[in-house]
Amino acid sequence: MSEFLVELQDVWRTYNQGAEPVHALQGVSLQIKESEYVAIMGTSGSGKSTLMNLLGCLDRPSQGHYLLAGTDISSRNEDELAEIRNRMVGFVFQQFNLLPSMSALDNVMLPLVYAGVQKEQRIMRAQQALKELGLGNRMEHKPSELSGGQQQRVAIARSIVNKPRILLADEPTGALDSHTAKEIMALFTKLTEEGITVILVTHDPETAACARRIVKVRDGKILEDLMIGKVQ
Amino acid sequence: MSNRLRSSLTVLGIVIGIASVITLLGIGKGAQTEAEKQVQSLGTNLIFVRPGSSSTSSISLGQGTSQTLTYEDSQAIKKNCPAVLDVAPQYSSNLQAQYGERNTLTTVNATEPSYTTIRSFRPARGRFFNETEMREEARVCVLGDTVALDLFGNLDPLKKKILIRGELFDVIGIMEHKGANYNIDMDDQIFIPISTGYSALFGLSQVTGRTVKSILVEAKPQEDELAQFQITNLLRFRHNIVAPQGDDFMLRTQSDIMQAAQSITGVFSLLLGTTAGISLVVGGIGIMNIMLVSVTERTKEIGIRKAIGAKYNQILSQFVIEATLMSVSGGIVGILLGVGCSNALSTMANWKAIVSTESILLSFFVSLGIGLFFGIYPARKAAKLDPIVALRSE
Repeated sequence: MSEFLVELQDVWRTYNQGAEPVHALQGVSLQIKESEYVAIMGTSGSGKSTLMNLLGCLDRPSQGHYLLAGTDISSRNEDELAEIRNRMVGFVFQQFNLLPSMSALDNVMLPLVYAGVQKEQRIMRAQQALKELGLGNRMEHKPSELSGGQQQRVAIARSIVNKPRILLADEPTGALDSHTAKEIMALFTKLTEEGITVILVTHDPETAACARRIVKVRDGKILEDLMIGKVQ
Repeated sequence: MSNRLRSSLTVLGIVIGIASVITLLGIGKGAQTEAEKQVQSLGTNLIFVRPGSSSTSSISLGQGTSQTLTYEDSQAIKKNCPAVLDVAPQYSSNLQAQYGERNTLTTVNATEPSYTTIRSFRPARGRFFNETEMREEARVCVLGDTVALDLFGNLDPLKKKILIRGELFDVIGIMEHKGANYNIDMDDQIFIPISTGYSALFGLSQVTGRTVKSILVEAKPQEDELAQFQITNLLRFRHNIVAPQGDDFMLRTQSDIMQAAQSITGVFSLLLGTTAGISLVVGGIGIMNIMLVSVTERTKEIGIRKAIGAKYNQILSQFVIEATLMSVSGGIVGILLGVGCSNALSTMANWKAIVSTESILLSFFVSLGIGLFFGIYPARKAAKLDPIVALRSE
């Protein structure tokens, strides 16, 4: 058993569209420990989205190995990846990506449906997650009836309801005003304190500054890997 | 909301398809029952014996044209065939009947008293002629109810005298209403004793040969095949027919007629069913189309579901269930509509449409099957989507 929760070993990701193969990732190695708070930074085209897809088990490396909690992702099939995503990974997106026809509660319950959790259990755990995020009185609302900040908190509730090991946030504050953005960022800090590993993907230095560690990506390679000392 | 309208319109295809299946099968079933009822109404264990075809210089004139079957044949059948319960020879001819100013051209059916029991066709009022009247060649007749109406209108025909081809006959009875039986209008007939017919109307005697147009035979219960065998042998013997020579008579049983009727209504049902089946296939394609549109429109949703852990089968079943729900709800509405249409048709068009439980069950499972069959392709398409590509779509 590795001491790292996330371990990338010389990972390549090559796309074979068109005449020339495109190497989106070129030999990336990265280790992240349990309950770290990491920001991955890079401009568009740097390979940070590809890196995020890999870390979130939406994709597999073309070459090299990805160990998540000691399991090698590289050799898993689609359904096994789906199960790993369901149990180990939570996603938070820039555009929230809630299902518009469902209530906040139903949205949060969805990962538990796919995990095969009993209905009473599902309702209980989803309600608890929403309450923790201050949405106890908004459970029956549709996403369209909620503000951006509330929607993002529903999305975070959905991402943590099945107790994942890592939480991947892709530009989570990109669609929010600065005040709401600060609240959301504070939530991530709180989650890392509760033991969840948060990986933030952003191009915004100010957002990245909330993390304890910044990994800069450019041209499919890791450019810098900095720990930020924070005065407690 | 626009989704609901779209789904309803799609489902309409299934509704119409299932409703037509139910209605058309109902009509087919109604026709079949009607045909069976008609065959049953001929009587039970019936065998029709008719003369074969006569031929002049090797030109066949068709079945029933030969004059080889005689009154004596019918008596021999009754006497010599143990499997035969009763016989009724018939000689019929189209003749003018007259009462006062009114007259009508009708079929005069000369037969024996046994006719009523063999055909289960009885007088409604008065009585049929009896054996004594047969022997005495009495000038009595029994009218079919159409003839009675044509000649007498509102008057009571009983105990009146009518003229048949200028001969006076006493009306002693009026038959019950029976309706048309295939090509014969059973009610447009006058029944007279066959002996009277030969001597008074048809001019046939034992010397010239008393031919018959047909002999109705009632076999003993369960012995109709034996009866056929005995009759065939007897008539061959009586008519001196030896091996290579063809029979100059033919036998038809009730089950022959029943089979003919069933094969006609069977083809009828099959044609109707196929027509309705085609509309169901069209309805199914409609569902497939709308599901494909739905998968394209909901690519993002599928991406989100996959990102949070939905497996291939979970996405697949979601879309198959949606398609099946659509087709089954259409099926249920269609069944209700079809039953309604059949009932409306039965009352309005005076044509009995019978909706069987089988056709309802069949329709239900067919609509279920359509949902599964036409839903599976779009659902597979959805389940196979790459989550990364799906998430990126708008």
